[in-house]
This record gives sequence, structure tokens and C-alpha cells, in this order.
Amino acid sequence: MSAATILIVEDDPDIRRLVGDLLGREGFAVEPAEDAAAMDAALARTRPDLIILDLMLPGEDGLSICRRLRAQDAIPILMLSAKSDEIDRVVGLEMGADDYLVKPFGPRELLARVRAVLRRGQAPASRTANRRFVFDIFVIDLDARQLTGPSVAITLTSAEFDLLACFVQRPRRVLSRDQILDWIHGRSAEPFDRTVDMLISRLRKKLETASPGSGLITTVRNGGYLFTPHVKPVS
Amino acid sequence: MPRLTLAARIGLIMVIGLISVWIAGVALYFRTHGSDAEGVHPAPERLAALATLIETAPPEQRAQLLAAVNTDLFAARIEIGDAGGGGRVPAPLDARLRDAYATALSGHATIITTPPVPTGARFLAKLAANPRNALEFHIGLRTGQVLVVDTRNPVLVTPDGLPVGFGAGLFGTFVALAALVIMQRETRPLARLAAAVDRIDLSGDPIPLPEARRSAPEIKALGRAFNRLQERLAALIKARMAMLGGISHDVRTFATRLRLRVDQIPEGEERDRAVADIADMIRLLDDALLASRAGAGELGQELVELDEILRSDVSDRQAHGAPVSLAVTPEAEGASLLGDRLALRRIVANLIDNALKYGHRAEAALGIEAASLVLTIDDDGPGIPPGQREILLEPFIRLETSRNRRTGGAGLGLAVVRNLVEAQGGTVTITEAPIGGARMLVRLPLFRVG
Repeated sequence: MSAATILIVEDDPDIRRLVGDLLGREGFAVEPAEDAAAMDAALARTRPDLIILDLMLPGEDGLSICRRLRAQDAIPILMLSAKSDEIDRVVGLEMGADDYLVKPFGPRELLARVRAVLRRGQAPASRTANRRFVFDIFVIDLDARQLTGPSVAITLTSAEFDLLACFVQRPRRVLSRDQILDWIHGRSAEPFDRTVDMLISRLRKKLETASPGSGLITTVRNGGYLFTPHVKPVS
Repeated sequence: MPRLTLAARIGLIMVIGLISVWIAGVALYFRTHGSDAEGVHPAPERLAALATLIETAPPEQRAQLLAAVNTDLFAARIEIGDAGGGGRVPAPLDARLRDAYATALSGHATIITTPPVPTGARFLAKLAANPRNALEFHIGLRTGQVLVVDTRNPVLVTPDGLPVGFGAGLFGTFVALAALVIMQRETRPLARLAAAVDRIDLSGDPIPLPEARRSAPEIKALGRAFNRLQERLAALIKARMAMLGGISHDVRTFATRLRLRVDQIPEGEERDRAVADIADMIRLLDDALLASRAGAGELGQELVELDEILRSDVSDRQAHGAPVSLAVTPEAEGASLLGDRLALRRIVANLIDNALKYGHRAEAALGIEAASLVLTIDDDGPGIPPGQREILLEPFIRLETSRNRRTGGAGLGLAVVRNLVEAQGGTVTITEAPIGGARMLVRLPLFRVG
């Protein structure tokens, strides 16, 4: 494990050097890269055991890189961010980073996270294989596109499933119509305000029929929607 | 009419509408029967009977006879002369009416004229000479005299047979009605503007006020000015948030380098102090950033379980040996509120920091009262005198100005707490703690499904 290779993608040369020196002293092999292009070049040369990725990079930013890497393979990613308020969303469901550190961080903190992520990374990657979650009385499988109630499968249209998937991946957070549209239709969303409302009322009805009185989707002031249950991943 | 409510306006429109309908109704009545019934047009039989009576009565009784029939509106007198003489012009009467008079007075030479009008008379006098208002009957008697009967209408009427002023009244009520309706329409954009100003949400994109196409130019200009103001305000806030974000990012980058370099200082008190300074600096920056986000309405909205945040903060501190305790009532377990996770963490952290700074221990408690989550943080310090409690929640105010930076901070902590709590619909108050020091009491609205 001490021979693990770590790719550092960080635009600030000082931090890159300081982190590199620190990891080097601890016996890791270090590959520095200052942006996405340099990272791709390094990835073509070697296969690192861990990528330390800065969130804010010139050109392609850390979020986009993270999404791209996740789609390809399962190299563990440790995110670095100077924005403490956005980091929650980076990790886990949305972006798939394995862990994060908010700048400024101390050397000991960094080493502890790096080691923890490497340890987890050595276990067979399970995150990409399985995207099943439980909420209320339901189980949803995002890959098989199935929603199951306590006894039977619940039939949802494709649009309703996309909407529910969007909620399941962002539970307990107020989502505006625009955000929902963005996520279920991609960037080229046309303004279908009413469509979202109708879709939500249909989905709400189906969930309500299967689980009466649960109030899973709530409307809040200023026209936002809130998916109220706790969502937990299942294996 | 600034204070007329909608109900009052509708009421007024109804009353004015009713008055106009009513006036129109009376006008119609007057036109059909009003002035024609009697008054200016005495019954032909009455005139004929009077003429016959005067002819047959003894001359000495004629004066008494006339006195008996005369009224204000029907004045008969006897003149000497000829009925058709004096170049009198017959009054323009209805053919039917003229025939009736001619038939009834067939034995008499009769001329019906209007009373003479003084030259240069005003409108009302001229109007009085209208055949609907006054007539003069000249009836030739067999005695060689002329019976002159002046009749007058009790109410002055126009040639249409309507009392004078009717038209003006009706016109006035219609104008009032129209004015009210127009005013209502003109003020609607102003009401919309007021609503838009109230609704203004600085965190999102500005929602332009719809152009009121049929309004007055001034009102349109006001609407456009408001839209420009809104855009400028939004741009200003966006720029400010971007600047703060940029500053925060850069300061954090410098702090990261510094933090990593500090490790090259040999281990010891100096290094620990440097590490603590960097942490304090970043906390201050975060506080300022969060407070300005709260001020711009940019806090996030998600369901947060406050007990979870309290537990993680308290257990972190306990792990470092800080004397902090936490009590959560059973109904507050897992209770959610709609707020910003980071802001709530900051509220809890600042309050506990404060309690530990001024006392020796901190006791946190979370409970539910009605529709609020109630968080209390008590310390055993000297407490805060009642007169200084309110002022302490203002920025840059500290009770002990002599304290050094290590214990005092910049005095932003409580102000930030208040700012963040209020931005999430809650309140902060300072009272006394049962354990001797100050109690910080935070109420935040509880989220309930429904």
C-alpha cells in the first residue's frame, strides 16, 4: 500500500508542490497535474490508486472531471474544495466522489483521508454496481428502473420514474421547478412549468395510493418541492 | 381616494349606478305622463265651462267667480278687447291638443299663445316661455270681452318635457361612474407594483413586472423604472456574492499553503498558535460569508434534523475534552426544520463557542414547544445584564472590550447567529441560565409534513 500512486489535480502550484512533498515523504508515488488536460495525459501513462481533485480548476472544472471519471472507472476520488457550502453535494449521490476535504486542511487530516479512501478503494468497488435505495415503504432501483412497494411493483411512466429518481438522489432538499426540469430534461430544458406540476401530482397520487398518508412530496413556499423521507442505499 | 377599499369601490359603483338608473326612470316617467297630465294644459272642458260661466254670470259676480277659480298655476282675468288681436302668434302645440281645445271652445274665438318674453331674458326665463311651461289662452266671450287664462307648470321643464337639471344630473352620475371605473383601472398597475416590490426575491433572477400596456405613460415609466432597479439590485447582489466567493476562494488557497507550510515549523506552542490563527481566520471569513448570504436570501433550504447537528458538534467537542453536555427531549429526536445545514451548524458552533468562552461549561438542550424547535445553550459564566442583552446581538459588540483576541474574537459571533436564525424564520433571545450564567434561547420553526 505504501507504493500507491496518487494523482494530484490542483491548479495552485504551491499547494500542488506542498501536497506532493507531503505525500512523497509518506512514501506515496505522486503524479502532479495542473488541469484536466494534464490529468488525462497522466492517466494515459499510469493508473493511479487515488486522485486528489480540486473542485475549482481552470478549463474543465472538478465537478465535470469527477462525473467523467465516475462514468469510466472506479478510481477513488478525494475532492478538495475552497467552498465549504457546496461540498456536501459533491460527495456521494450526486457526483460520486469518495471523500472530500475543505481548504485549508492540515497535513495530518489529508493523510488520514487519503489512507481511509485507499483502504476502502481496495475493497471491490460496489458503488457502481448498485444503485438501489429504500425510502418510506418503497425500494427503488435506479438501474433496473423499478419501484417496488411492500408487496408489488408499482408501474410508473418513464417521465414519472425520472422525476422520482431525481427526488431520490436529492432527498430532503427544496427543489425549484427549474432545477427539477434541468435534471430530468438535461440542459436543453424548455420551460414546461405546468408539465412538472402535473407530473408531480400524478407521481404523488401513485405514491399516496401505495402508502396512504405518507406525504412524501411536499410543496413549500415559492413554488419548490421537497421529497421528505430519508433515503438509504441498500445492497 | 387613497383609502377606498375594493369593497367600498364596488359599493360606490353600485350606488352611482342605481342613482343613474333611478334618474333615468324618473325621466322616462316625466316624458310619458308628467307635464301633460294637467298643469300647463288645463282640460278643454274646464276652460269651456269657465267661459260659459263668466258669460252667464251677472257682471258683478264675475270678479268673485275668477277669484274662486284662480290658483298660482291657473290665473284667469278678463280683458277688454279682441281675442285674435294684438298680432298674437299661436303657440306650437300638439295637433291632438289643439283639436281638443278647438272642439271644446268651438263657440269662442280662441287663440293659444305663449306669454311674452322680456327681451334679453336669460335662459331660465326663456325656458319659462316654453309651451310646456306656460300658456296663455285668449278666449273671446260673447260679452265682447276676452277671458285671458295664464297657466304655468309647477316645475320648469325643458322642451323634452324633463325637469330642468335632469340631464345634468344624469350626465354627472355617468361621469362619476366612468371616473370610478377608470380610476380603478389606472390604480391597478400601482397595486401590482407594490405587490412586486414586496415579492422581490434577491436570491433568484428578477421577475420583470409585466408592461401595463393600456396604462398612463407615467405608470408605464414607473413600471420600467422598477424593472431597471430590480435588475440593478440583482446585478449588485450577484456581483457582491461573486466577489465574496472569490475572496473566500483565494483566502482559502493562501490559508491552505500557509497551513501546509506551518508544519515545517518545529513542533511546539508557536506552531499550535499558528494553526489556531489560521482556523480562526477561516471561521471569521465563513461567518462573514454566511451572514452576507443570509442577508441576500441565499441560504439553502433542506430538511435538517437539528438534534443530529447538535450531537455531532457536541460529541466532537467532548472527544477533545470540552465540558459540554446535551439533552434532547424525546419528541425533538429526529425533528426536522427547513433550513440551511451549514448555517445551522454555524449557529450551534458559535453559541457553544461563546458559552465555553465566557463560562466553564456549556449545557445544550433541544425541545419542542408548539410549532417551534427550542434550542437553549446555557453557561455558568457571569451572565449578561438585562440592559445589554439586545445590544449584544448587534455586530462588533462585545461585553468585555478589554478581552484579548484569543477569547474575544471580533464580536461577530452572536450577530451572525442572530442573522442566520432570523433568515430562517427564527428568533434569538438572551436570558439567565439556571446554572448561573447566560442562556441563549433560539426558536426555529418546526417542519411538519402537510
